[in-house]
Amino acid sequence: MFRYYFQLGIRSLRRNPMLTALMVVTLAVGVAASMATFTVLYTMSGDPIPHKSDRLFVPRMDNAPIVGYAAGDEPSDQMTYQDAINLLASGQGVRRTAVYGIGSAIDSGRADLPPILVQGVAPTRDFFAMFEVPFLYGGPWDAATEASARDAIVLSRETSEKLYGAGVNPVGKSVRIDDTEWRITGVADTWKPMPRYYRLINGNGGGFVGSEDFFLPFQAAIRHEFGNNGNNNCNGEGPKEPGFQGWIKSECDFIQFWFEGKSAADQPRLKEFLAAYVTDQKKLGRYPRPINVRLENVMEWMKHLGVVSADAKLSTWLAFGFLLVCLVNTVGLLLAKFSARAGEIGVRRALGATRPEIFRQFLTEAAVIGLVGGALGLMLSFGGLWLISLQSEEMALVAKMDWAMLATTLGLAVGASILAGLLPTWRACQVTPALQLKTQ
Amino acid sequence: MLRMTNLSKVYRTHLIETHALRGFDIHVREGEFVAVTGPSGSGKTTFLNIAGLLETFSGGDYVLDGVNVKGMDDNARSKLRNEKLGFIFQGFNLIPDLNLFDNVDVPLRYRGFDAAERKRRIEDALGRVGLSSRVRHYPAELSGGQQQRVAIARALAGAPKLLLADEPTGNLDSQMARGVMELLEEINEQGTTILMVTHDPELAARAQRNVHIIDGQVSDLMRETTASLAAVGAASAANAFAADNT
Repeated sequence: MFRYYFQLGIRSLRRNPMLTALMVVTLAVGVAASMATFTVLYTMSGDPIPHKSDRLFVPRMDNAPIVGYAAGDEPSDQMTYQDAINLLASGQGVRRTAVYGIGSAIDSGRADLPPILVQGVAPTRDFFAMFEVPFLYGGPWDAATEASARDAIVLSRETSEKLYGAGVNPVGKSVRIDDTEWRITGVADTWKPMPRYYRLINGNGGGFVGSEDFFLPFQAAIRHEFGNNGNNNCNGEGPKEPGFQGWIKSECDFIQFWFEGKSAADQPRLKEFLAAYVTDQKKLGRYPRPINVRLENVMEWMKHLGVVSADAKLSTWLAFGFLLVCLVNTVGLLLAKFSARAGEIGVRRALGATRPEIFRQFLTEAAVIGLVGGALGLMLSFGGLWLISLQSEEMALVAKMDWAMLATTLGLAVGASILAGLLPTWRACQVTPALQLKTQ
Repeated sequence: MLRMTNLSKVYRTHLIETHALRGFDIHVREGEFVAVTGPSGSGKTTFLNIAGLLETFSGGDYVLDGVNVKGMDDNARSKLRNEKLGFIFQGFNLIPDLNLFDNVDVPLRYRGFDAAERKRRIEDALGRVGLSSRVRHYPAELSGGQQQRVAIARALAGAPKLLLADEPTGNLDSQMARGVMELLEEINEQGTTILMVTHDPELAARAQRNVHIIDGQVSDLMRETTASLAAVGAASAANAFAADNT
């Protein structure tokens, strides 16, 4: 019978086309407004690495001076070089990486090509496996290179193509950065996690925009005294010694640290380790505040940093409020449409339709209106997303609809129209056939 | 086919009670063509609605083709209505945006017949009323008489035991009315029991038996035609006369 009801629903669209058009447009506008804003929210708050986001952890420890301490203070989002080195050596978790932002100019050695300005990160080799960076050629530097802080480099595909052209494997060649030859061990393929969770505190783009042009070994970057291209937070007195060495020995935090656990269950154990670590550091005269450590997985980390702006959330709520208004209007229009069908309902009841059959027929008709409204809403959503994408580069990246959102849009339209159709359909079922048949 | 015993129907509001039918007794036998007459407000329509299971009754008993419908829920009444009854209304009550084929299809859909069976029945029913060539036409493209023929085809398609007709010629001119009446007589001759409410004494006279309703009660048996005696048997007709007037 569903097919029959569906066919009747399609036919019903033609009956009173003005009313039908009003309903379809009302529904489409409501659905488009809510789905366009929801798509932005969905992309912003999406899980960038769903299969392991619950076992990638950011440690945070409060190394600030006791002056200005207030209970409930949040520990810093980054950590000092000393702590990064200690945690890298701790053997905790299955993988560890310290990351900080670097920027420089790469000299290809070609006379025809001026030095290319690049921005990237200095991580440990675990970084590539932890965050599943895809490789076009070669791979990360090896463990021996890392242990001896030798000069190696991983280029991004884009950088490699700028230097050597597309389709050329540059692994084994060297590039010159600041008078040092860096041996290319790999070329990372295009890699743009959304949001850019592994480096949300950065100096080249933000949570969504930007990507890494190159990667240097963490210790090699430190050895060559690459400055931090990102946030640098010096609590209290700041460095006690001058220069780069003074800076990395200080309580200034500039390093993003990540642990990879075996499973989500490692989280409390790792947190206990951090507390024990801080206790040890206190004996060395560091960490004057009461122990205050945090360990957040990817989603908790993004929530902590407010990756999804309050504006995006508010816009979505407002848009769904607007959808509700559209639904109320649709209820009214459906009531008008269905009440004009009382005669037909009476005839169908007289000919043997039960109330549940009438209910199903009219609810299917409401769903058909929703389907058409959804199709139009989808087109309007694309228009809305296009308008949103004009706002900024960041918005252009997040205002994109995937298949899941596309299906959700249609589902929302059909669901909303069924919801709007419940009252009119229930009213339709209450038609007294005897009365209608006589008055027709 | 249809037996109502001491049936009553009371419409209640918080102020008044209206007795539309009271102590209502009627027995319609299989194969009969009964005309129901009476003045406006006498209870004819209420009787037809109850007979058609479109309304419930307040008291008494109603047995339709051996099934006691007292206390039956709405769904069961709908199913019974679909299986045993056919309706013909004064206003035709065709669905305007369905063509003739789809209009006749409506009761068959609710019966659950497969597509081939429905097609066979629809074509057969429209053939019986002489509209085979117009299956794809819409009601608005037909004359009143043709529309009523479609309504009759729709009622016949489900092969009902009892055909209920409420002023079937009320909206037709005399020529069309005559055609529809002849069709009903033909259907009756083929074995379908017909219960027809009418104001028209001429039409009532063509039925085998007349039942007159006044103030919600069967008041009088008007007449029986000799034709009906031949159709249902002289003995049973005489019994019906006796039974319906006691």
